[in-house]
Amino acid sequence: MRSLRREPVLLLALLAVIALVVLFILYPQLQVVFAPGPSGYADFLAGGTWLRPLRNSVEVTLLSTTTAVALGFVYAYAMVYSHMAWKPFFRIVGILPLLSPPFVVAFSYLLLFGPRGIVTYGVFGQSPVIFGLFGIWGVQTIAYFPFAYQLIADVLSRSDARMEQAARNLGAGPWRVFRTVTLPLSRPGLGAAILTTAIYVLEDFGNPQIIGGVFTVLPTQAYSLISGFGDFTGAAAVSTILLLLALGLYVAKIRLDGGRAFVTISGRASSMPRPPVPRTVSAACFVACLALAALLILVYGTLVVSAFTAVFPTNLSFTTRHFEFVATGTNGDALKNTLVFSTVAAGLSAVFALFAGWLVQRGDWPGRGVLDFLLIMPAAIPGIFFGIGYLTAFNQAWLDWVDRGWLIILAMVFWNIPVGYQAAVAGLRQIDRSLDEAATSLGASKLRGFRDVLLPMLGGSLRVGFVTTFVRAVTTLSVVIFLFTPATTVATIRIYQLVNDLNWGGATAFTVADIGMAIVALIVFAVLARGRIALGAARA
Amino acid sequence: MTPQLDRRAFLKLAGATAVVAACGGATATASPSPSGSATAAATPKPTGTISVYSALNESTNNELFKAFTSATGVNVQVLPLAAAGDLQTRITAEKNNPQSDIFVGGSSEFHDPLGKQGLLEAYKSPNAANLKAEFKEASGLWTGWYTGIFGFISNNDRLSKELGGKKPSTWDDLLDPAWKGKLVLPDPIKTGGGYIFIATQIFRFNRDEDKAMAFMKSLHANIAQYVATSPGALLLIDQGQFVGCPNWSHDILTEKTKGNPVDLTVPPDTGFEVGAVSIVKGSKNLPAAKAFVDWVLTPEAGALNVKLSNRGSTVAGVAPAPGSPTLDQVKLVAYDRQWATDNKTRIQQKWQQAVGL
Repeated sequence: MRSLRREPVLLLALLAVIALVVLFILYPQLQVVFAPGPSGYADFLAGGTWLRPLRNSVEVTLLSTTTAVALGFVYAYAMVYSHMAWKPFFRIVGILPLLSPPFVVAFSYLLLFGPRGIVTYGVFGQSPVIFGLFGIWGVQTIAYFPFAYQLIADVLSRSDARMEQAARNLGAGPWRVFRTVTLPLSRPGLGAAILTTAIYVLEDFGNPQIIGGVFTVLPTQAYSLISGFGDFTGAAAVSTILLLLALGLYVAKIRLDGGRAFVTISGRASSMPRPPVPRTVSAACFVACLALAALLILVYGTLVVSAFTAVFPTNLSFTTRHFEFVATGTNGDALKNTLVFSTVAAGLSAVFALFAGWLVQRGDWPGRGVLDFLLIMPAAIPGIFFGIGYLTAFNQAWLDWVDRGWLIILAMVFWNIPVGYQAAVAGLRQIDRSLDEAATSLGASKLRGFRDVLLPMLGGSLRVGFVTTFVRAVTTLSVVIFLFTPATTVATIRIYQLVNDLNWGGATAFTVADIGMAIVALIVFAVLARGRIALGAARA
Repeated sequence: MTPQLDRRAFLKLAGATAVVAACGGATATASPSPSGSATAAATPKPTGTISVYSALNESTNNELFKAFTSATGVNVQVLPLAAAGDLQTRITAEKNNPQSDIFVGGSSEFHDPLGKQGLLEAYKSPNAANLKAEFKEASGLWTGWYTGIFGFISNNDRLSKELGGKKPSTWDDLLDPAWKGKLVLPDPIKTGGGYIFIATQIFRFNRDEDKAMAFMKSLHANIAQYVATSPGALLLIDQGQFVGCPNWSHDILTEKTKGNPVDLTVPPDTGFEVGAVSIVKGSKNLPAAKAFVDWVLTPEAGALNVKLSNRGSTVAGVAPAPGSPTLDQVKLVAYDRQWATDNKTRIQQKWQQAVGL
């Protein structure tokens, strides 16, 4: 509080952040929460149709999050600690699921592992029941472990090597160091990763929609109420139930983080290398990553093959007509829109998230907990309701002069705030407060301390925010589906339209083009930032 | 782009692209409104552009609107989403500041609630005068211009190998244990098509709900999966993941003409949908919107839609697509649309209890 009174600029900045959060997160979402009205909620809750989806959601979130975080940790550990070969390859393969639009990839699992799947039936002669809990569990594990990997790798790569070296020098074995030093040090990152992954899984509707069958989860129920029956009221009620679940996850996260200090960057910088891991561990890491990468390549390879075949899998003759189709008409504009919107949104979101993270984590003003929650909340809001909230709130006649693209950009910025914000908080937590206190006691303002002392050390968090927001913006369908106009159509909308039109070849070609464009963009960002933005978060 | 760009230059670049995008978008979205001409007020000739929310297939959209523009001179800016519920929700959410003039395509079930909420502009097109009462809303809130009939898709290879090539000649044939694990159905909870299938069974058993539920329960034993979207179910049959599925005839025909190894059957006592067109209240170009409704109800537009989408036309005298069933040939159930809409939640829950889902 004292610092706020001493620094009016800081106070203004804080008020601006609060105003933006209220205007672009709270206000649109309240439009959705209040839409059903008391009687709408009463009717819907009494109907009881939400009970089973609620149970299913909880069940599959617990299962998928556990496995996704476990695999994500293995991948992150391998990338950061081991000396395995092919790291650049694994890094690129590991971001593929992050770059993929919904729906189409789920179809790929079906083609591979369905009752007449290429692998299941073609290779093994089996017709497994892929639909339902086990199918979703498997698919979500593959789809979301890369998210966990990104977050965990960022934290692992910034944990202090000196601690581990010290432990090794004192005689601890590699496993003991991992268990008693590495693991506890990565706890905030792990907590954030588990929370974020759980919320992504909870909110996922593309995979359950295709693979779930009658195993309905809350997002598919909400989506179906809208898509199949235009029942906005019921869908909004389901969305509110989802929000409450996310609140539970949030409380759990606070408990999990505990009160321990996790300072690993202190005043004295070090450039000590990490202690070597045994050759066998590196080999095991390599095998594990190779297996995961092979699975991903199989899934995405199916898409590429589909894009180049006439009618996959019944007519496998080679064709480029699907890509010729992608190059026609306004399809190119959709790709361009995706690139522009996502880049602008990623830049704004990463910077805003970092600043907000600093205000919350280093601030001493009352009500920080509320802002903290509001900044995490968007991760819990199904994208479709974020979009509907924006449409309801900002589709006003007096705003008609604003280009609709900005609505999409703003929705992408604030929907993706949680990732950058959590990365910022996790990053700040590992930087000793004495560093910025040193700056302020030498006469620098808090803002200057942030800019000149903390910011240079938070490159990792900024990268996570930028890259993750970019890829999520490239891949989001649900946020934009109620916001796009003919002039602001994006790639995922085109893919959704093509899937609905059963133009499988066109949809896969568009997906391949979209993913390809995103990869090229990430490489360009990396070059522009002189290597400070890596492909993916983890820079070992 | 020079490799010497630093971070600041990059941000400038990002900002610049955003500005370019904003300007580009603004010019593209500015819809020319009919310039205020006092002379044209008596019989306003439709001009300018209309914004159409379309639930039709993409290929249909492109051709149909091109034909409309060349017939009337009115330009169309189309927002295509072949999921009518998405468009219905969007129109509801936009009610304070409507962005569309026309909502076209999708079963009348998606238009009717909008009319009841006061979000549609009533318009009785002169071209709708001769339509049967069941094809239009009495006060003109929506007008039916095409029909879709529920049929059955089967995968040729698997049908001949695993079921001796025997297609179902009645819905009851699907209860044969030979179909066990080989059928899928659009989810009656999630899709309009799946629900219409249940309602059809109820009408088939003369509204004896218990008999209909007993049928659905026996059918459930043969169904491998309820699929989240109707087109998604077609894709599964195209790929041969499963053998058969009740679905929309016109979409099945379209899949067949694309070269997929599938075929269409239409068992008797089936249900159908009425595809509607409606004018969104608050339309900024009402004369052109009315011209659009008039035009889709012409025999020419009807024939074009039949050709493009294999659907039937509500306009008398428009020939059906080759191989497509028509409402006169097919034995239909007495489908009471209002009853089906009013009892939806109750029937869905009854079905869930009957099949234990």
